[in-house]
This record gives sequence, C-alpha cells and structure tokens, in this order.
Amino acid sequence: MTCGKRFMLGNHAIAQGFLEAGVSVAMGYPGTPSSEIMEYLIEKGEELGVYAEWSSNEKVALEGAYGAAMTGARAIATMKHVGLNVGMDPLMSSAYTGVEGGLAIVTADDPGMWSSQNEQDNRWVGLHAYIPVLEPYDPANAKELARIAIEFSEKMRHPVLFRTVTRVSHTRGPVDVCDGKPPVFGKGIDRTKKRFALVPANARKLKAELVGRWAKIEEEVEELPVTVEEGDPGLLVITSGSAFAYVMDSIKELEVSPTVINLSVPVPVQRKKVLDLATKASKIVVIEEGDPVVETQVKAALFDEGIKVPVLGKSNFVPPVGELSLDITNSVLAGAMSIEAPHRRGVNLGYEPPQRPPVFCPGCPHAASYYELKLASTTSRVKPLFSGDIGCYSLGINSPFDEEDVLTDMGSSLGVGMGIHRGTNGKSFVVSIIGDSTFFHSGLPALASAIYNKTPLLLIVLDNRTTAMTGGQPNPTQAIPIEEAVRGLGVRNVYSMDPFNVREAVNTMRNAIDAVKRGEPAVVVSKRACALEAARKLRREGVEPLIYSVVEDACKACGICYNMIACPAIQPKDDGRAWIDPNSCVGCSVCAQVCPYDAIKPSGNLDWIKRWGEAL
Amino acid sequence: MNIYMIGVGGQGLITTSNLIGAAATSRGVKALTSETHGLSQRGGSVDVHVRLGDVNSPLIPLGGADLVIAFELLEAFRAAPYINENTKIIVNSRLIRPPTPRLRLPRAEELINKLGAIRNVKIIDAFNAAVKLGNPIVENMVLLGAAHAAGLSSAIDEGAIIEAIRSTMRMPELNVRAFEVGINLVNNY
Ligand code: SF4
Ligand code: SF4
Repeated sequence: MTCGKRFMLGNHAIAQGFLEAGVSVAMGYPGTPSSEIMEYLIEKGEELGVYAEWSSNEKVALEGAYGAAMTGARAIATMKHVGLNVGMDPLMSSAYTGVEGGLAIVTADDPGMWSSQNEQDNRWVGLHAYIPVLEPYDPANAKELARIAIEFSEKMRHPVLFRTVTRVSHTRGPVDVCDGKPPVFGKGIDRTKKRFALVPANARKLKAELVGRWAKIEEEVEELPVTVEEGDPGLLVITSGSAFAYVMDSIKELEVSPTVINLSVPVPVQRKKVLDLATKASKIVVIEEGDPVVETQVKAALFDEGIKVPVLGKSNFVPPVGELSLDITNSVLAGAMSIEAPHRRGVNLGYEPPQRPPVFCPGCPHAASYYELKLASTTSRVKPLFSGDIGCYSLGINSPFDEEDVLTDMGSSLGVGMGIHRGTNGKSFVVSIIGDSTFFHSGLPALASAIYNKTPLLLIVLDNRTTAMTGGQPNPTQAIPIEEAVRGLGVRNVYSMDPFNVREAVNTMRNAIDAVKRGEPAVVVSKRACALEAARKLRREGVEPLIYSVVEDACKACGICYNMIACPAIQPKDDGRAWIDPNSCVGCSVCAQVCPYDAIKPSGNLDWIKRWGEAL
Repeated sequence: MNIYMIGVGGQGLITTSNLIGAAATSRGVKALTSETHGLSQRGGSVDVHVRLGDVNSPLIPLGGADLVIAFELLEAFRAAPYINENTKIIVNSRLIRPPTPRLRLPRAEELINKLGAIRNVKIIDAFNAAVKLGNPIVENMVLLGAAHAAGLSSAIDEGAIIEAIRSTMRMPELNVRAFEVGINLVNNY
C-alpha cells in the first residue's frame, strides 16, 4: 500500500477514509457543510467501482445505504445535520435490525449556523436511537476515524453515526492518503430469517436484542481510540471532536498542564477510560462542540460510581451558543484554574464598514422570477402571503423583492403554505415558492396532499436545473420534467415560463393567479439554468459571450434596473444613471427588457441566451 | 504563523490559501486553513484563517494575526479584531461596492488614509497590477506575492510557492509572474 501526505479538505479526508475502508455504496443529499464528501466519492470512487449517488432526499439516501448494508455491503449515507431529521425514520429502525455489513451515517453539524437554520447537535440522536457516534477533531483524524467507523459498524453489525462539524469539514490540513480498497459488496438477504421485517412481533424481539447489543457496544467502544495528554491529575479536561484541537492550543498558550482525554466516541462515552482518570481528579472540565452531550453522560457515570467532583461544561460554564474558538477555550481553562487568560482584543481602525450580505448573482434567474411575480401580483390585485423554502431563492427575503414571509425547512413552502390558507379560513392568498431540488426532496408529497384536499394555492417552482445553493449538484429535474410530474398528479393549471422573457412571464403568472382565484391549485414552472453554472459551462464550451451596456445619453436615471431587479452588475453612478460592470454582466438581457427608455443594449452574440436555455 | 485573509466572494481567497497550504505541506510545515463557505459565491464577505507551524486548531484567536491580507478596501476594516501592534498588513486598494441599493460610502482616499495611519500597513494596487499583466484574475497572486515579501517568507520559501502554483494552477506562468510582481511591489514600497 502506498501512502503520501496531501493538503486536503476535511470532507475529502472523510471520503478518502471511507474509500480506504472498502465502502461500496454511498448515497447522500447535498447540504453545507457535508456536500464535498459525496462529490469526492462520486469522482474518486468510480475507478474503484464504488456506487455513489445523489439521492432525492436524506431519507432515500439513508434507506439506500441501509438496504445495501442489510445485504452485507459496506455503505454510507451523507447529509447535513438537519438532513438527518428527514432520515430519522429509517435511522431508528436501523438500530433495531442492525445490519449485516457496515453502515456509517455522516452528519455534518453546523455550530455557529454558518449556513443553516439551526445548530442542532446530532450526537443526541445517537443516545435517542441507540447508535454509537464517532467524532473526529481534524482532517487527518477524520480520515482515520472514517475507516474505524466502518470497521466498528461491521464488527458490531450495527449502524454508526459519524459526526463532523463545519470546522472539521471545511478545514484543510495535511492528510496521509493511501490507496483505496476494492469495494466490499454484499451477498444478499436471507429470506428465511425476516430479520429486517419490522412487524410488531419481530420488533418486540429486536428491541430486547438491541438493548443487549447496546450494552455490548458500551463495552466495545472502550477499544476505540482515545488520546490522553498526561498532566496534573487534579484537573481533568475531557474533550470530543474539534474541542480537542482548541484545548491543545490553549494549553500551550496558557502554559498549563491539566490531564486531557479526548474521546473519539462521544456516544456512548468511553466510560472506563474516563472514570480511571476521574477518580484522581478534583475538578473536571468537559469541552465539546455543541450541546452538553458528553458532559451529561460523564455526570451520570460519576453519579453511578458515587464519585463527587465538580464538573464544568456546556451546561454551566462554557458558552452554550455558537461554535468554539481558541479565545473561548482559553478563558474556560483559565477560569477553571483561576488564572488570567491572555487579553488580546484587536485594534480600532476608526471605521465600521457596511455589511456585505449575500445577494442574487448577476443574471440570476431567481431575481427575474421574483421581479415578475411582484409585477404579476400587483397588477392582478392580489396581496399574497409568500411561503418560501430552503435554497438560494431564500435571498428573495431581501429588498427590493420582499417575497419570502415564512421559510422554515425543506419543502415547507407547500406544507406551511396550506396551513396558512386553512388557518386563516381561506382568506390568505398563498404563493408557495420552491426550487427544483427541494421540490423533489419533499415538495412532491405535500403537493399531492394539496391537490387531494383541494387547497387553492399558487406554487412557483424556480427550476434552475441544479442544486445551486450547495455548489451545483445534479438532481432529478435533469431527468424528469416538473410540469409532467405535476400534471401526472392531477393539476390542471400547469404553466411553463422562461424568466428571461419578462413580458410573457408576467402574463403567465397572471393566468396562474386567475386560476387560484377560481379556487383551483396552479403550478408555474419557471425554468432557466443557474447563472453561475450556465455561464461557467458556456464559457468552457467557447460559446461567444454576450454582455449588456448602458447608452449614457439614453439613460434617464429612473433606477428601475438597479433598484427593481437589483442585479449586482448594475450600479448607479453619482448622477443616478446606470452603469454595467462588463466584468460581472453575464448577458441575461433582463435589465434591457425592463428599462422603459430602451437605454440598455447588447454586444456580442444573442445566441448566448438560447444556449443558456439549453445549458443544463 | 497566523495569516488572516479577508475579501469578497470570487476574489480567489480560497485558491490563495490552498496554495499556501500546499506549499507549506511540501516543505513539511504543518498548515491548517479554514474558510467560511456556503454563501461566499454570492458576493458576500469571505474570510480564511491560515495557520502555519505547530498548531492544532483552525481558527486564529482575536488579536492573533501575524499577517493580514485584505483583498478589498472595505473588507480590510473587518480584520480589525485580529490585528495587534506587530501585525503586518497588506491591503489591496480596490474598493468593491456592496450591492446594497442607495448605500453611501466614504471616498476611497479617505479609507486609504485611515489605514495608512496604522503601523506596518502596505497598501498596493493589486487589481491594476493584474490588469497590466493582462488578466485581472491574477489579482490574488499579486497579493500573495506582497504577503510573501511582507512576512510569509519567514515560514515558506519563494520556491515552494512557485512550485505549488506550477503544479496546481491553470496559466501557471502568468500566475508566477503576478506573484513576483507582488513581491516587488512590497520590496520597492
Ligand atoms: S444583462 Fe443586465 S441584468 Fe443581466 S447580468 Fe447583465 S447587467 Fe445584470
Ligand atoms: S432602467 Fe434604463 S433609464 Fe432607468 S436607470 Fe436603468 S438604464 Fe437608466
């Protein structure tokens, strides 16, 4: 086996660890900070013969990996932390039945909510579901632990959760990369045993077995790695995951030497290892990324053993909100030892720059759709309540659009939208806005419900042909025309539109609004490839570009282009006239269509727009 | 060594930090870089923490930067929490307007004067240097060169970075030239 050191992204290291463990089946749904794991497996797994796919949602991905592991294969499913909520149903069952091969479910948690709606700590799920959790502290460790996770799962014939966080997944560091193993596929399922058929009679038996297996797992995790830094036995610091990295740097900076133990398994805690050290300690500090998951278990273990020692942790001493940092671990350790933490604060540069919020990209088809939706609803004299969803288009909450009133979770535009309609006894005019990937993820069952229950609502599917938010992964829209899917579900009022044809788009939306006014559900599919993905692809293919520019004298400084579509390529000059940055414009033509003075003109080949329409 | 990089999505910060990481790794120097992902493609602020040497954790503590590379003039001010009196600072004089409609901004000269008043700051025009080289896209390599001359050189030699550019980038020669232009901008500052 040949190995070599490479500078590598944490998520790639995780994926590499799974390849080196002989994983044969990998399924996932994109979500920051998890997506690069599956991207790597799709790219690098191919030559090894690994089957890797983007599934339509996390439940489907988890079931796929679970099914593969039933047959004896080594399988993984990947998702972000909130994705695991969608996968909970099969997850709970997988603990009851166990697996024949290996099954690791990767959950990428996002403390600090860099790109998420919450910072749930999925290590709790391990306790809830009787599934052990492994947690790495840096990219190199992540690769090792990914391999160990699969091996442990296969040994115990039980699923494992692999919990990473943003600062492991999106940190790059040196990783020892070795050759991948040939993938281990399964042999099949023994039909005579019905082991995987959770009818109640079976499930009752399996619950008893599960409890027994969990006791075994509690013993066996003691064989999995812990890292101990010997120091003053009086102060014991217990860490898990990335907390270990911060604590090691803090100890160096503070020049202190407590005893530190890092647990690779936060659930169930490696109890014997902890208790060995705890008996010698007069104070224990537990530092972990997220909630007091380890702390709670450690306290229970101490209680069981009758050991009375103060325990500081997330529940009482470490800030419970947001992610850890060196500054936090410095002050936690210094506080626990009653010494001074270093005071460094930065400097005052005498100016507070304005925020730079994320915005729709230049030429983003969502921006055009939102502009058109606003125009259509105003001219149709409806005052919609906008029920939004998870994706780039959630930026429609910002001015000038202001067309996202509620958005809570994947697919909620329809479910919550129906609830708003019913909750107001039909008085709200609800427009649900969903993207293509989210539509296939969890919009379909909700739409079926709306149709069956005759809920009049307008559904706008912003079909940009890709899962753009997470970096442009493919999804079922590339194989299944959404209009046909919706017609198949029995919607009569189905419309297609191109957001880059402003006049027609507004008319189409008005027709759809009329249908809803008649009390029928209506669906508009607004189809145009993501500007980033399309422009990248067309440039690579050498398609002659198109950009737009403002004719100085013709511009009357009305501001419609830069205030209403808010394309970031268009900027107002000091006199209010528009200026288009030729380095940013991607030639969508929308500004030229909305300018009432015909002051915006193309240069280049108009064929660009047609090719864009066929790009994805 | 702690290097704090800040700029605007699309300016090539992550490419730059990857080069530093690859160059350090090739010389046996441990490197950890950590980026805020996700919404960065959409024109928001982006920062990358780069830590070199005997370190375990990925984030620079407050006041803990040895070197700051500000890819944009407004963003430079957001580095304030990481700066101490010995921090070497490279600032690109380019100002990119935030897309907020009707936003009023101070003039660029005013901002440059404010930054110029603090110690160890070098303000360079990396964008125009890149345009002069024939492609604004190599702005990031001009800044990397400037940072190298301003202090990165004590951790990683020039040759390691040039090797990393040659082995990972498209248009390697143009990027190497931009890197060298950046070095000269600081050496002749
Ligand atoms: S054509 Fe107009 S709206 Fe489209 S990207 Fe260019 S400047 Fe922006
Ligand atoms: S819409 Fe036309 S006239 Fe109005 S500011 Fe823009 S370019 Fe000028």
